[in-house]
Amino acid sequence: MTEEEPRLSAEEMLRRLDPSLSPMKRVRAVAALVAGLAGAVFVAALWGGEPGPLPGSTQLAFGLLAGFCLAWAGYGGWLLTRRVPLFATDRVIAAWIGLAASTATTAVLTVVAVQRGSGLGPALGGVFVLVALVLTVRAHTRRAELLRRARELGHGE
Amino acid sequence: MSDELLVVRAQLGERAALAELVERWRVPVWRYVRRMLDAERADDVAQEVWLAVIRGLPRLREPARFAPWLFTIARRSVTDRLRGEYAGEHETVEAGEVVTDDPVEAIVDRAELVSLLAGLPVLEREILVLFYLEDLSVEDCAQICRVPAGTVKSRLNRARRLLRTRMEEKGSRP
Repeated sequence: MTEEEPRLSAEEMLRRLDPSLSPMKRVRAVAALVAGLAGAVFVAALWGGEPGPLPGSTQLAFGLLAGFCLAWAGYGGWLLTRRVPLFATDRVIAAWIGLAASTATTAVLTVVAVQRGSGLGPALGGVFVLVALVLTVRAHTRRAELLRRARELGHGE
Repeated sequence: MSDELLVVRAQLGERAALAELVERWRVPVWRYVRRMLDAERADDVAQEVWLAVIRGLPRLREPARFAPWLFTIARRSVTDRLRGEYAGEHETVEAGEVVTDDPVEAIVDRAELVSLLAGLPVLEREILVLFYLEDLSVEDCAQICRVPAGTVKSRLNRARRLLRTRMEEKGSRP
């Protein structure tokens, strides 16, 4: 009796795993999360910064728009935590994209707030930027830890 | 190159390191899955295991413990397929259990061990595969099966007894 062997070769296995490792999938997931969050913050800031009472249909439209943006953000978050592996280097890139998007959103919200003379925009955007900044620092720290460990292990061999 | 270094490089995003990990661990993972499941399902489940490994790899905190982590994922996929069989299995810990000598040492032919394993209950088969075919330590087996090390030892002991009985039935005892 001879021992069985797997039918899939290493190359075939990697080929089957390729869709999960595709860079485009990672970009799409990060884009959905960042754009969804930026959109939700933007809509919420505009909604909250309206000077007078709004008609019901406008309230509904704002609510639907915010919900739509949050749904995209949720989808992106789900992809990044459950479906798409984000390795340390990808995480650094994604964090910088998030930081750039949050800074741009906050800048636009600040301009709108200055023009209107009031609004929640800058405060909301500030929180968004702060979270993005923390994620960026964490991503860099994690990558640096892994690079240091790789060097240590590399020297030991 | 050590597994730990390969894992760290793969976690950084090096595709070649990931490919090397798959190449190195493809057969051990498949062998475990195949010993627990039939041939039809083994390839699909092995692929499912690797998909889960790739998705979870960025979050693995102890790269040095890659092998037990990998087999924990493999075991989860196998358990999902054998939910009924696992549910029907109960730990029967006997007080003052006598430690039997090791019948596996008497089995010279690895293929013979494989054929004897096929008839064993799932918990005993699993522990023999992890301990003998995958060469994992009792501590690693305990982590993978999520039981205390003492339970692994008693399971191993019971599995060896069952194996001995099977060998005697087959008349292959040396």
